[in-house]
Amino acid sequence: MNAATTQEQRQSISEDDVTIIIGLEVHVQLDTKSKLFCGCSTEFGAPPNTQTCVVCTGAPGSLPVINQQALRLSIKTGLALNCEIARFTKWDRKNYFYPDLPKGYQISQFDKPICGLGYLDLFDQRDKSKTRRVVLERAHLEEDAGKSIHDESKQGGNSRIDLNRTGTPLLEIVTQPDMRSAAEARAFLNELKLILTYLEVSDCNMQQGNLRCDGNINLHIRVDGQQIATPIVEIKNMNSFRAAERALDYEAVRQLELWKQNGLTISDAPKQTRGWDAATQTTTLQREKEASADYRYFPDPDLIAVTLSEEEIDSIRSEIDRLPAQWREELIGQHGLKPYDADVMVGQGRGVIDYFLNVAEGCGNSKMAANWIGQEVLRFLNESEATIESYPITSTQMTELLTRVVGGELDQTRAKEVLEQMIEFQLEVQSAMDKLGIKPVDNQEIEALCQQLINENPQVIEQIKGGNAKAVGALIGKARKLNPNASPGLVKNTILKMVGG
Amino acid sequence: MDFSNLTATQCVNQFASGEVTATALVQSCLHQIQQNDPSLNSFIRTSDSALPIAQALDIKRAAGKPLGPLAGLPIAIKDGICTAGLKTTAGSRMLEEFVPVDDATTVKRLVEADAIVIGKTNMDEFAMGSSTEHSHFGISKNPWNHQYVPGGSSGGSASCVAAGLTPASIGSDTGGSIRQPASFCGVTGLKPTYGRVSRFGLIAFASSLDQIGPMARSAEDCALITSVISGHDPKDSTSAKNDIPDFLATLNQPLKGLRIGICKQHFEEGLDSEINDSVKAAIQVLKNLGAVITEISMPHTPYAVAAYYVIAPCEASSNLARFDGVRYTHRTEGVKDLAEMYCQTRAEGFGNEVKKRIMLGTYALSSGYYDAYYLKASKVRRMIKQDYDTAFESVDLILGPTTPTPAFQIGEHSQNPLAMYLADIYTVSANLSGVPAISIPCGISNRGLPIGLQLQARSFDEATLLQTAHQFQMETDWHTRRPNQ
Amino acid sequence: MSDSIDRETVEQVARLACIDLPASRVDETAKQLAEILEYVGQLEQVSLPDDVEPFFGATESVNAIRKDELSPSVARPDILSNAPDSDGEFYQVPPVF
Repeated sequence: MNAATTQEQRQSISEDDVTIIIGLEVHVQLDTKSKLFCGCSTEFGAPPNTQTCVVCTGAPGSLPVINQQALRLSIKTGLALNCEIARFTKWDRKNYFYPDLPKGYQISQFDKPICGLGYLDLFDQRDKSKTRRVVLERAHLEEDAGKSIHDESKQGGNSRIDLNRTGTPLLEIVTQPDMRSAAEARAFLNELKLILTYLEVSDCNMQQGNLRCDGNINLHIRVDGQQIATPIVEIKNMNSFRAAERALDYEAVRQLELWKQNGLTISDAPKQTRGWDAATQTTTLQREKEASADYRYFPDPDLIAVTLSEEEIDSIRSEIDRLPAQWREELIGQHGLKPYDADVMVGQGRGVIDYFLNVAEGCGNSKMAANWIGQEVLRFLNESEATIESYPITSTQMTELLTRVVGGELDQTRAKEVLEQMIEFQLEVQSAMDKLGIKPVDNQEIEALCQQLINENPQVIEQIKGGNAKAVGALIGKARKLNPNASPGLVKNTILKMVGG
Repeated sequence: MDFSNLTATQCVNQFASGEVTATALVQSCLHQIQQNDPSLNSFIRTSDSALPIAQALDIKRAAGKPLGPLAGLPIAIKDGICTAGLKTTAGSRMLEEFVPVDDATTVKRLVEADAIVIGKTNMDEFAMGSSTEHSHFGISKNPWNHQYVPGGSSGGSASCVAAGLTPASIGSDTGGSIRQPASFCGVTGLKPTYGRVSRFGLIAFASSLDQIGPMARSAEDCALITSVISGHDPKDSTSAKNDIPDFLATLNQPLKGLRIGICKQHFEEGLDSEINDSVKAAIQVLKNLGAVITEISMPHTPYAVAAYYVIAPCEASSNLARFDGVRYTHRTEGVKDLAEMYCQTRAEGFGNEVKKRIMLGTYALSSGYYDAYYLKASKVRRMIKQDYDTAFESVDLILGPTTPTPAFQIGEHSQNPLAMYLADIYTVSANLSGVPAISIPCGISNRGLPIGLQLQARSFDEATLLQTAHQFQMETDWHTRRPNQ
Repeated sequence: MSDSIDRETVEQVARLACIDLPASRVDETAKQLAEILEYVGQLEQVSLPDDVEPFFGATESVNAIRKDELSPSVARPDILSNAPDSDGEFYQVPPVF
C-alpha cells in the first residue's frame, strides 16, 4: 500500500485507476426534552447560560444520571439501522481541555457502544436499479459540548462561553469506509436523515446543529499492479449535505493532485484534519493529528452500566413504524407508483405519504392521487418552501376534488383551475366550482352541443369517417369555448358515437 | 455551660427532653471553637447561620412541633462536602471562593433531620493525604499532642470531635480518610458501604472509592447519624437502593456466636507492637462477649496500596480536570491566552501533592500505559474483592488494626511520601472492594496517642459493625478517653 | 512497566494535565513520580487468572436511569456567580489562540 512511485508513473494515472474511499461520522442530536445527564431543557435558542445546572456545568460534587429516553431513541435508531444492540453498555470518559467542555472530559462510550455493527442500503448512484450497502461500524451515545464564541476581530479579545447546549444527547454514527464517491456520501446522508426523521428520533435540523457530519477520505490508486493509499484526511465543518458533497469532491481532486506532485502515501504522512471553507469552496488545514491527542479513555466511575433485556429491546422494536425503504416498496407494489415517484414522495417525509394514502383511498385511484400529489402538491410545497402540514388543502378536500375527477364530473384541466381557486380564496371544492361557474351538463345538452359541432365542422367529420378518430381532438377545444363545463371525454365519445366512427 | 463531653445521642435526647436548648449547644460549640481552634486548626470556617437555626429550632420545640431525629445536634462538615451558600473549598486554593448552589445530599438530609451545621472542617487538599498537612488553609493538629498530625484526609473532622469542639462530624473516606484520622484522634469513624450514602455534593477525589460517613464519640452516635444520611439518592447513579435497617435497634443484641476473622496479613511486618498488643487485647474482649475468632488469609492484601495508588490518581486526574479557571475556580491573572490561563491556574491553584497525583494518574491512563497500570490495578482490585467474598463465606466480620502506627509527627513523612501512603495499608482494601468498615478506639500508646481497631463487614452490613463496636464500647472505656484528661 | 520516567515524558504528562511545570522542577517531579511508579510496579508480580475481569467500580449494580423530565435550571446569576470572569450572560475566557 505504500510503495514509492516515480513522477512518471504518477503522471500516467487515469481516472479508472483511482478509487475514492469515504467514511462518515454523523452526530445526531436525539430529540429528548431534557439533557443526557440532567433535567435541563434541550430547547434551542434560549438566552445564553439559562439552561444549565450544577450537573451540566460540572460543578464540584455534581453527578450525572442517564436519561432513559436517550437510551430508547438510540436503540430505536440502532434497530432501524440493522445494528446489533448491546445487552450491556457502559460509559467512558474522553479527557481533554476546552472551555466549552465543563468537566474537562466528555462522557461518551468507548468499548461497549450501545449499537454495534449495522448497515444501510442505498440506491447505487450509477444504476438506481441496484443497491449498495454501507456498513455501520457502531453508534454510541455521548454528551454534546457547549458553544464558544471567539472574538472575530483578531484583536485578541476574550472568547465567550455558552453552556446551554452542554450535555445534550448525541448519537454518533460511524460508518466503515464504504462510500466510493462524494455523491454516494451525500446519498447516504440523505437516506440516514430520512430514516431518522421517520423514526422521529431527531429533527435533524442542520442549521441548529442537530445533525453534523465529518468525513474521512483518501484515495486508493492502482499503479503498475500495486495499490497505493494516500494519507487520510478528516474533513470538518461540512454544515450541509451539499457542502459535504462539494468538500469531498474537492478533497478527492486535491489529494490526487498532491499525490501526483509528492507521491506521499498513508504511511508517509499523518492523518490531517481539514475544514471546509464555504466561502472559498476549498478545504484548509486545521491540524495534523499530533501524538499528544491522547484522550485517556477510561470507564466513568460516576455512572453504572446499563443492561438491556430482550423484552425491552422488543418493546422498542415494536414502536418502529415502516421505514423509507419499506414505504418505497409499498408505494410501488401496492399503489402502482413508479420507482422515481415513490422515491420523491418518500423523500418528502411521512406527512406526504399519509396525505397520499388518505387521498388515494378516498378517491379510489392511486395513480391519479400520486400524479396530483407528485405534481400539484409538491410543486406548491417546493415553491413556497412549505411543509405538507401547512399546505392549505387538506387531504379530505383533495379527496373530494379528485373524486369528482374520477366520477367524470370534472376534467383534469378544470380540476386544476378549481384547485387554484381553492388555494387562492380558501374555498371548498363546491364553492370554487360555483365561482368558476362549473355545473353539471346533462346528456341532452351534450348531444345538442355535439350536433352543433358536427354541423359546423364537416371537414373534421369527414376525416373521422375516413377512419382518423384522432381528428376529433380538433373539436374538443371548440366544445370548450361553447360550453366550458362540457367534459372533453364525454364530448369526444358522444361525437364519435354520433358520427358512427 | 460546657457540653463538650456530650455524645451526639445525649445532645439529641437532652434537647428533646428540654434539658438543654439548641442555642446553648451551639453557643457551647462556638465557644469551644473560639477557645481551642486557633491552635488546633480543625475548622476552615464556622457557619454564621448555626445560631439562628438553633434559635429557630428552640422555638419549634417550644411550639411542640415534631422534631427531626437529629434535632439539636451541632455537626461539623468536612470542607469537601458542599453546603449551599457556605464556602466549600476542599482544602484547596483552587476553590477558595467557591460557594455551592446546592447542599450535598448528606447535608440536606442532616438539615432535614434538624441537625445544625456548625462549620466546615479542614482536610488534605481534595482529600489527598493522610495527615491534614496538605491543606491550603494550614496544618491541623492532633488534640492529643499538637506536635502530631490528626491523620487525614478528614483530619479536621476527627480533631474537632476528639477535642470536644463538636459532638460529631461528617468525613469522607477514599482510602481510609475517615478511619485513619478517627484512629489517630481516638474517635469512632464509620466508612459505610460504597453506595450506602449519596456522593452527590461530595467533591470527588476518586469516584469509585469515595464514601461519606460519620465521625463521633461512640458507635451509637455513628449509628444514629448513619440512619439519617443513608439511602438511595436519585441524583447519584452509584447510590444503592438497598433497604436501610434500623441500626439503633440491633446495637444491644449480644455477640454470641458472631464469627470474627483475623486477617493474618494485617499482623505481619510493619505493625507497631503497641498496636499489636492493643488489638490482641480487644480480640480477647470480643471473645469474652461470645465472638468466635478464627484466623483467615486475604492473600492480595499486600498489593492493595499499590492498586490504590494507581486507581485513585487515575480517577482524580480526570475528576480534577474541571478545575480550569472558567466556571468555579480561582483564575490566574495577566495571561495572554487560554492555554496559558489553564496551565498557570492549575499550577497555582493546586498544591504539590495534588499536582503530583494528577500527573501520576495522567501518566497511568495515557496511551501505552493504560493496560500496565489502570487495567492491571483494576484486575488486582477484583482479586482483592474476591478475597473478601471468600472470607465472608466463613466469617461475619474481619478485625485488625486501623493503622500500622499511631499518629506520626507533623513533618515526619515530608521527605518520604511513600511512608505516608503506607499509613493506609489496612484501610484501602475496604474502599477497593466497597465493604463497610469502622474504626474504634482500643488503646493508648506509651506516648499518649490513641490506637484504633478496625472492623470490616459484608457490603450493606453496617448493622453488625455498629452492633459489635457498640458492644465493645459497653465493655471498654477507650472511646470515652479525652485528650488532657 | 517502567520504574523510571524521563524528563520528556514528565513534560508531556504536564502538558496533557494542563499544569505548568517550570523546567527547574522537572527533575524533581520525575524523581517523585518514579518513586511511586516503582512502588506500584509490584503489581506486576501479581499473577492473575486468565479470565479475571477488571473491577472498575465499587458497585456492580446496573440501570440507574431517570425519566426524560425537565427539572428547573439554575438561575443565570447564580450559576455565573462562581465564575472568575463573566459578563452576566457568558463565561469569559482569554482568547484561544
